[in-house]
Amino acid sequence: MALVEIPIGPQHPALHEPVMLKVRADGEDVIGVEVNTGYNHRGVEKLLEKNSWVRGMYIAGRVCGICNAVHTQTYVQGVENLMGVEPPPRANYIRTIVMELERIHSHMLISAVMAEVIGFTTLFMLIMRDREKAMYLKELVTGNRVHADIHVFGGVKRDLDEVRRSRVLDELRRVEERLKYYRRVFETDYTIVRRLSEVGRIKKSDALKLSVVGPTLRGSGVRSDVRFEDPYAAYPEIPFSVIYRDEGDSWARMMVRLDEALESVNMIRYALERLPQGPAVPKAIPRTARPGEVFSRVEAPRGELFYHIVSAGGTNPYRVKIRTPSFLNVLNTESTYLGHRLADVPVILASYDPCISCMERVLVVDERSGRRVYMSLKELAQVGFG
Amino acid sequence: MSLTLCGRAFKEVAPRRYVATVEASELRRAIEAVVEEEAYISSISAIDMPKEGKIELNYVFWSVKHRAAIVVKVAVDRSDPVVPSISDIIPGAVKGEMEAHDLMGVVFEGNRSLRRGFLASEDVVVRGVYPLKKDSGV
Repeated sequence: MALVEIPIGPQHPALHEPVMLKVRADGEDVIGVEVNTGYNHRGVEKLLEKNSWVRGMYIAGRVCGICNAVHTQTYVQGVENLMGVEPPPRANYIRTIVMELERIHSHMLISAVMAEVIGFTTLFMLIMRDREKAMYLKELVTGNRVHADIHVFGGVKRDLDEVRRSRVLDELRRVEERLKYYRRVFETDYTIVRRLSEVGRIKKSDALKLSVVGPTLRGSGVRSDVRFEDPYAAYPEIPFSVIYRDEGDSWARMMVRLDEALESVNMIRYALERLPQGPAVPKAIPRTARPGEVFSRVEAPRGELFYHIVSAGGTNPYRVKIRTPSFLNVLNTESTYLGHRLADVPVILASYDPCISCMERVLVVDERSGRRVYMSLKELAQVGFG
Repeated sequence: MSLTLCGRAFKEVAPRRYVATVEASELRRAIEAVVEEEAYISSISAIDMPKEGKIELNYVFWSVKHRAAIVVKVAVDRSDPVVPSISDIIPGAVKGEMEAHDLMGVVFEGNRSLRRGFLASEDVVVRGVYPLKKDSGV
């Protein structure tokens, strides 16, 4: 069989985390994977240094389109610490509700992408249709369908009134119903289980060494969740269980996500039913911070999101270091592709929940004949399966 | 409160945040001790401090065992920022070192993957500029 080199990506520059996988294959077997980055490094850290604390709130939220509220939370909770302000309980509850809604729609998105990658286009469309219900709930709470922008130093920008609160509670039932259905599909469907099981396995002992986070870490049997171990916002008051599984393969990671999404539904319901009374919107926004540094952590849908914020006093940050979960999950897992077949590469990549929708075209080069063939990721997934 | 690992005291600077400053020569021993505590490497953040003439590296770990972030700080000379690589102790550090090299110019001795252009765009690389340095002009 010919040795082939298959570059997957780089993708559409408008989307976050553009990345390229250079896959070397001996026939069907993957013998090497190199992850290339830097196609669209936007210099957000530098941008944050050059702007004020208040503007940073909006910049942080724009690091990622899917999980924008968690980025703002990580930034805002760190800066609040430096500013010496504490958000009121009601604001913390509203922030938590928005972040959990985000987790639901993010997990539904990757379940949909996974379904498409393995050839289940109808399932993809169904999940995307129902994901819109979660997006609608986010719009009900924040006023925005995608970018929540609800955080502000010392509270939230918009309170939740009784009408919208009961509406969210009502609509949440439908989201839950659909999530339960998709969980059942991923758990019992013969083809899905066959395609995902034993693929891209990470052992528990390797998970910490590779430093993967979030559902990828928990799918390998490590019970680590920032919300539980290092609670922030309203998480200390909301009961939930940390979902983890021992299998360590792509299927385990997807099941962790679907179970987590169902857990999020319960958490949102709990928070809405016990929403504390009192103010949520601050009257004035502080603009200066004390000198010092903060290590701020939040559990994003993809895992631990980390901000190291350094202040020298004044109105601007001195340095903000951002480490997104995909930086670890996508870049540190090159070795997990080895020994699998070409058709498994998209499955493994999708199981780490990167921004994959933009990695649309794949170039296959036959090293002997020099023949080049363009294929979509989906076509690649169907090559030689079975 | 403090945490003692391998004879070194880590001071609790905030709830669940333990920090210790070490010399570059002791770095690897300190990291080895932290990795033993069921820890994964969360981030390597480099901070440029031109006034002090140094670059501060923060190796941030999360220990599942202690349920705490353990931070090892090391300062390197700004004009010659060289520090031993820890990527053989914890492979998860390779990309973090590559990032700090590309954006801040720190050389991690022993990490063979270091290269410019890992994240920075080509125009910055061609000019030989490290964009996150305070005097980079970026």
